[in-house]
Amino acid sequence: MSLTTTLSPQQATFPGTPAPAARAVGVTKQYGAGDATVAALDDVSVDLDRGRFTAIMGPSGSGKSTLLHMLAGLDRPTSGEVYLGDTEITSLRDKRLTMLRRDRIGFIFQSFNLLPTMTAAENIVLPMRIAGRRPDPDWVAAIVQTVGLDGRLGHRPSQLSGGQQQRVAAARALASRPEIVFADEPTGALDSRSGTELLRFLRTAVDELAQTVVMVTHDPTAAAYADRVLFLADGHIVDEMHDPSAEAVLDYMKNLGA
Amino acid sequence: MLTATFRSMVAHKLRLLLTTASIALGVALLAGTLILTNTMGIAFDMLFGKIGSGTDTVVRAEAPFTQTEGVGTNRGPIAASVLDQVKKVDGVRAAEGTVQGYALLTDTHGKAITTNGGAPTNGYSMPSDEELRGDVELLSGHAPTNAHEVAIDATSAEDHDIALGSSIKVLFQGPTQEFTVVGTIGYGDGIKDLGGTTSAYFDPATAQKVLGTPGAFDQINVSAADGVSQAELADRISDVIPAGTEAVTGKAVAEENADATKQNFSIVGILFGIFAGIALFVGSFIIWNTFTMTVTQRSREIALLRAIGARRRQVMSSLLLEALGLGLFASAVGFGLGIGVAKGLKWLMDAVGFALPFTSLQIEASQVWISLAVGVGVTVVAALVPARRATKVLPIEALRESTPGAEKSSKLRAVIGLAVIAAGAGALWASLYADGGMKLFGLGLGAAMVGVIIALPVAVRPLAAAIATPLRLRGLPGELAKQNAARNPRRTSATAAALMIGLTLVVSMGVFASSLKASFGDVLSDRVDADLYVVTSSAQAPGYSPSVLAAVKGVDGVDEVSANGWGQARFDGQDSGFSSIDPGNADEVLALNVEKGSLADLGKDDVMVARSAAKEHGWKVGDTVTAEFAESGKHQLHVAAVYEGKGWISDDFVVSRAAQEALAGPQLVSNAFVTIDAGADRAEVQDAIAAALADHPDAKVLDRAGFEKEASGFIDQLLTFMTVMLALAVMIALLGIVNTLALSVFERTRELGLLRAVGMTRSQVRAMVRWESAVISLIGAVSGAALGIGIGLAMSQILKDEGIKSISIPVLQIAVYVAVAAAAGVLAAVGPARSAAKVDVLKAVVTD
Ligand SMILES: Nc1ncnc2c1ncn2[C@@H]1O[C@H](COP(=O)(O)OP(=O)(O)OP(=O)(O)O)[C@@H](O)[C@H]1O
Ligand SMILES: [Mg+2]
Repeated sequence: MSLTTTLSPQQATFPGTPAPAARAVGVTKQYGAGDATVAALDDVSVDLDRGRFTAIMGPSGSGKSTLLHMLAGLDRPTSGEVYLGDTEITSLRDKRLTMLRRDRIGFIFQSFNLLPTMTAAENIVLPMRIAGRRPDPDWVAAIVQTVGLDGRLGHRPSQLSGGQQQRVAAARALASRPEIVFADEPTGALDSRSGTELLRFLRTAVDELAQTVVMVTHDPTAAAYADRVLFLADGHIVDEMHDPSAEAVLDYMKNLGA
Repeated sequence: MLTATFRSMVAHKLRLLLTTASIALGVALLAGTLILTNTMGIAFDMLFGKIGSGTDTVVRAEAPFTQTEGVGTNRGPIAASVLDQVKKVDGVRAAEGTVQGYALLTDTHGKAITTNGGAPTNGYSMPSDEELRGDVELLSGHAPTNAHEVAIDATSAEDHDIALGSSIKVLFQGPTQEFTVVGTIGYGDGIKDLGGTTSAYFDPATAQKVLGTPGAFDQINVSAADGVSQAELADRISDVIPAGTEAVTGKAVAEENADATKQNFSIVGILFGIFAGIALFVGSFIIWNTFTMTVTQRSREIALLRAIGARRRQVMSSLLLEALGLGLFASAVGFGLGIGVAKGLKWLMDAVGFALPFTSLQIEASQVWISLAVGVGVTVVAALVPARRATKVLPIEALRESTPGAEKSSKLRAVIGLAVIAAGAGALWASLYADGGMKLFGLGLGAAMVGVIIALPVAVRPLAAAIATPLRLRGLPGELAKQNAARNPRRTSATAAALMIGLTLVVSMGVFASSLKASFGDVLSDRVDADLYVVTSSAQAPGYSPSVLAAVKGVDGVDEVSANGWGQARFDGQDSGFSSIDPGNADEVLALNVEKGSLADLGKDDVMVARSAAKEHGWKVGDTVTAEFAESGKHQLHVAAVYEGKGWISDDFVVSRAAQEALAGPQLVSNAFVTIDAGADRAEVQDAIAAALADHPDAKVLDRAGFEKEASGFIDQLLTFMTVMLALAVMIALLGIVNTLALSVFERTRELGLLRAVGMTRSQVRAMVRWESAVISLIGAVSGAALGIGIGLAMSQILKDEGIKSISIPVLQIAVYVAVAAAAGVLAAVGPARSAAKVDVLKAVVTD
């Protein structure tokens, strides 16, 4: 038995504690080469707990999106490992990784979440259609109900408001019962009312459907919906806060200089 | 601004290459067509101009009308006495009677020297006056001076190793004779034959004997004294020559002849022209697409230029300058390629057996100008709209443009398209019943095509849905492929149009050819009852000497020989082709189905008419019909019989071969049907006939299967030719498809990224693009095939009277065409599919 095996992350988990939904181990991401090298993430390690709502905050350029992309299997780190459940995903080949995103991960992006040629209903079941699987009609109906899209399902994205589009995206992210949902500034392009609706929906998904949600945001009010806030600066996780209030987050951010 | 333009052109090498290639291809096909048709034209001009170049005035028999088929009009001979009259006219420097006729050369082994593409094999009298020879010049040896000497064109001599002093046989309408080759002939400027024909030269007295009528000439060629113009000389001669003859300037005669022949080949020019048109259409479409892409990619660059103070007009002229430079460069490259294209097309026509009269490629300044002007013009116009947009539209908007709903299918478009189609169909319908229906038919055809092209964008969505139904089986990628193909109907239909036009042409010709073949087969099996068939040795030769018939008849075991000929005359004031038969035995082998009167009565002043013609004109047995022959003028012919007019012989008018000889002069035989004695062995008789034909290399004997194959051979050639044209159309269309897909992939980068992010694998993305391409190509192929079938049927219907009795749709062949088109679409998608699969997943996530 070698040292590495003994110290492998899976076994490092304490018995009795549920395994994290996703984790980063010493993740570094560098852009560019030579003198122009920029480290967007520098040796970041973090566990994201199952069934919880985690927010990631930090100044612009601090590496939030980069971290999210690494965790979600949208990009590969320069070094380090990323786990989704027990699966080490950085070593997966493109096809496996793609299927993993399809079956085990949900996404909400800041904008352009939907295929313009498809209706809301079709967009919601897109990942399952790609997989050639039949969506579970009861589950999809429940989600549509929760997200409040009844009567809009036959519309195309161009016929929906920005808030409605983001809710369709949220419904899509949850429709395939993923292990984890990643959202990068999902409310960034929304007015506060639409934003609030979306955040409430994500909160409900965590509380009632036992979903795991990880969200990048600039908005302390949005962060206040989360169970835990991670603060990033210059590619490092510099701090975290549990059961945050908007005020506390705002104060902390001011100190960070964001 | 100039340097900015130049820098950006060089900076995007790949795009430059794609655009250059598309313009160059269009221009290359155009230039190739121009060069080829011009070369063909010059070959024809040479054929007549070179011989006539030293002749100022021609005296010839007047023809009552101009024949519309074949090379020029056959005229009656002119008496030798006229020559004496002409010689006395003031201003005549020299005048000589000339004779021209059928003369088939053989090589030293007695094998016929045949020409390509039905180019004539001619014999001429060699003028003794140097100037009257025109460009005809002796390259070696001397001019023929007696009845045993011949001079031949240098190409025949060189290609068949015929040395001076060797003796060869020459076949005429009359008996074959043996000559010693005493000279080889060239035509100035190193030209060694007259546009692909073979030529034999005899001294005038011999020529009269072997080619024409002793004591008479075909025409008198006159050379003017110094200072006398062609027109003046013609006028002076006109005053003295007898009625029934005319004096025409040499220039007019050369033009007449060349025009007559050129018309026969104009169809080739038109076909090539259509394909050059398709190529340019696709080319300009590609340019349009490419500039749209360029402009979107460069909108930031352009915005920057404008921000730093460049005015809209400057930005615009920078883009147009780019188009101009590109157009000029690509057109120049295209013209260079066009020379190769001309050679290639010529080679192709040779390969499929459609050889054309040809000489060295004739390149003229006008072709260069036309090609460059069209290439540059198309490029600039195609760049204009995207360039205008560039100066107005923001980058984000340019990207958004691809979302559905941006382009609504217009009702007006559908209405206009359908109206034009209806007008075209009406014209097609009318052409079924109108006289001279072919012109109306062409018009209707053109209108129908234009209408379809106008209306196609409206039909793209339903077509895509119909075609993609089987694709649904392939899950989401198939579904998305269908949606994407139908997303930008105008672009899709423009992409598919090239394939559509190509397939329309090919399929309509296919239906036509297949109907022709079916009709032919039916007639042959139902109506022709012969044991053996004697045909020309080369499929395209005009006929063989009647002396062949005598040789065949002499063979042991041969019972009857019934020969056919063909000619043109004016019956009851209307130009019409006629058949000539041997009345004694024609009915036995050809089942003419004589309904009234009797074939036995078909004498020298008689005619047999088809039932339909008899009905139309109210002719009955015993009536007279006025027939006018170019060679001999008007004659009153008695209607001796009325026949069904629907078998192997189907002309409205049929005369005996003896009558044809009397009315239209000596004739070649088209083919002959042979029956054998009861009890004789067919194979043995065939061998015996073949042996007897050893001295007649212009004819050969075939059994039934051989005859069928030979006689329908030209249809197969037609089909091969069409297949090659299809390949050409598909190749051109392929470029358009590649370009459209590249543009679509480029426009949909974010969607592709999104799809990849939510779990579409690379191979699914590739499949999606491939299916989209297949749907686009199938839209073109299926609509083209449908249109082609309709047109082919209409064409066959119109030609019902001309011998198309059975209509047949080559289903398998059309299915193959469509499959090939679809496969081409999938092939075209390889590159774009690959780049679609490579799209960066993060593109969808990162907003800029
Ligand atoms: N594709 C790339 N190439 C080069 N550098 C990049 C790339 N993507 C990100 N970076 C750099 O990495 C750093 C982190 O970027 P990231 O997008 O993760 O920041 P962020 O925290 O999401 O910022 P924001 O709040 O503005 O979205 C930045 O300095 C950025 O410039
Ligand atoms: Mg970000």
